[in-house]
Amino acid sequence: MSRALYPLASLEQVEKSPSREDGIPADLEEDLRAYGCKLIHQAGILLKQKQVAVATAQILFQRFWFVTSMKQFGIGDVGMGALYLASKLEECPLRMRDLINVYDLLLQRAAHAPPSGDFRYAPMSYFGNAFYDLKDALVVAEMQVLKRLGFDVHVVLPYGTLVNYMRLLDLTGREDAVSRAWGYLNDALQTPVYALYPVPTIVSAAILLATRHLHIALPSTPPNCWWELFDAEWDDVWSVCGYVMRLYRTRSAEDEERVKGMLTKKDVRRWLEEHGDR
Amino acid sequence: MNYVQARETGEGTYATVYKGRSRTTNEIVALKEIHLDAEEGTPSTAIREISLMKELKHVNIVRLYDVIHTETKLVLIFEYCEQDLKRYMDAHGDRCALDPMTVRSFMYQLLKGIAFCHDNRVLHRDLKPQNLLINKKGELKVGDFGLARAFGVPVNTFSNEVVTLWYRAPDVLLGSRTYSTSIDIWSCGCIFAEMISGVPLFRGRDNQDQLLHIMRIVGTPEDRVLRKIATESPEIQLKQYPRYPKIPFSQVLPKASAQALDLLEKLLQFDPSKRLTAADALNHPYFTGTVNMTYMPSAGAMQLPAYNYPNPHAQQQQQQQQYQQHAQTQQQQQQAAYAQQQAQVYAMQQAQAQAAQQGQVPPAYYQQQNYHR
Repeated sequence: MSRALYPLASLEQVEKSPSREDGIPADLEEDLRAYGCKLIHQAGILLKQKQVAVATAQILFQRFWFVTSMKQFGIGDVGMGALYLASKLEECPLRMRDLINVYDLLLQRAAHAPPSGDFRYAPMSYFGNAFYDLKDALVVAEMQVLKRLGFDVHVVLPYGTLVNYMRLLDLTGREDAVSRAWGYLNDALQTPVYALYPVPTIVSAAILLATRHLHIALPSTPPNCWWELFDAEWDDVWSVCGYVMRLYRTRSAEDEERVKGMLTKKDVRRWLEEHGDR
Repeated sequence: MNYVQARETGEGTYATVYKGRSRTTNEIVALKEIHLDAEEGTPSTAIREISLMKELKHVNIVRLYDVIHTETKLVLIFEYCEQDLKRYMDAHGDRCALDPMTVRSFMYQLLKGIAFCHDNRVLHRDLKPQNLLINKKGELKVGDFGLARAFGVPVNTFSNEVVTLWYRAPDVLLGSRTYSTSIDIWSCGCIFAEMISGVPLFRGRDNQDQLLHIMRIVGTPEDRVLRKIATESPEIQLKQYPRYPKIPFSQVLPKASAQALDLLEKLLQFDPSKRLTAADALNHPYFTGTVNMTYMPSAGAMQLPAYNYPNPHAQQQQQQQQYQQHAQTQQQQQQAAYAQQQAQVYAMQQAQAQAAQQGQVPPAYYQQQNYHR
């Protein structure tokens, strides 16, 4: 067994996340986590950042919400801080100004883009207050992620493991299965699973989803269950599958608008005041 | 603050180091003050140092006790060590060269510390005499993990700009980004030679010059070897190099014993895959053998009058015994630490298994203690 350990959330943290303690409903928290990760992902693409850094940022972001409430920090700021930090950890640092410009665009688009998709971005002025405010928020967010995670920023990514497992299952010839499983691993970054389950379980779940969708049969009757080969428990694998599949459910337009209006802690606080009597 | 600051002891590129004292335990500590920069946020060196060092607890690695964070700065509280190896050599060496017993002891401790890092999947990436600290008890401790990084399942290539030039491995000089533990071993070899002779072994001016300095001593490898290194690290660009013959290390370091030379040879292999691991190096006869460590004075050096040492052999034996005792206790301590660690891992696995049985999620260890405002 590898001695490289990475932190996972405790049962207590899962049952009662800090955001839920503050009255944010579970489904809203889930949506906000997913949206925050989507922003990190979009920013990563616009910045041509390596996927390794983007994935690391998303995992740190997910861990963060097990120790901090969304009432205290906005998902926009924390996502930006996590991406900045992860880029340093993975030795491909970003320029602060680039990252801020990209986040400004993404936040404006979330706030103002009409459903028609006709959106024009108004760049911020070079020495304007908007820039300095975002910069302060970025430095604070990076430090908060470090501090609240106790500087425990070690992240293990699943890609190498997936390649190994696919080889063991003799599935490397099925390109469709490989790329589908790879895709599920990436989508799973929008869910909290990387902060809940060890990597082999998540990789097994991605393989399970891919093979089921493509009708590929694998030995699955006890005592010969393929996931046991990878030390994964069926219940856990199934639960990870559930997290991933829930991402794809259709949401109402209202729900989607609700998420886009809650990217800062101010928005979250306002929402809580309006909906606080639960 | 919980610590009293005394005098400034050094200034690095990104931090100032003070000697201080803990108010609670009265222990002398080193305070490393890092100013937070509005232009780049938390320095990555500080992030690396904290995230890696807080896990590395070993006699031969400088302990990180605590981290204090305020609005404008981060203060890291370290175990205090009197001086670094560079200064120790300046002060105690004979024209900076250390005596064979000291070299062997320091080398052993250095490799112990590095073996522990590598066991815990940490590459130091900046080993040099300035980063090895020596305390009053003669214990050597590896410090400054500002360039270190964790490694595991490879998903990413690493930065090529690592390790101070003189201690940089040839594969890194060639441009490798997929290096591993062997780059620390190369640095250990360079430090070994430097302790014996008192001067750095390879003193290049720049990347290319450094590579030539190395080849002038270890010889230009055959094309076959170079091509093999390049296939193992595809990012390497090979050029034409002058053909230098190998110079035996016995000629470069006339003072060194045969076994020291043999170990050095095995550490300073041009081909990274041929270098010893830290764990294997610790089992080298240089450390395990019971050879006499008599050091042959070089020609022309005046012999000391014999009566200064009524019984030189007895003294030597005693020293050796002491050393072995020291090594033994160290081994015991380490075994104890390892057993403890194993127990922890085991307990965690148990808890995890239990939780899994009950259909729960695995336990966490998000730890926040020690990192207060």
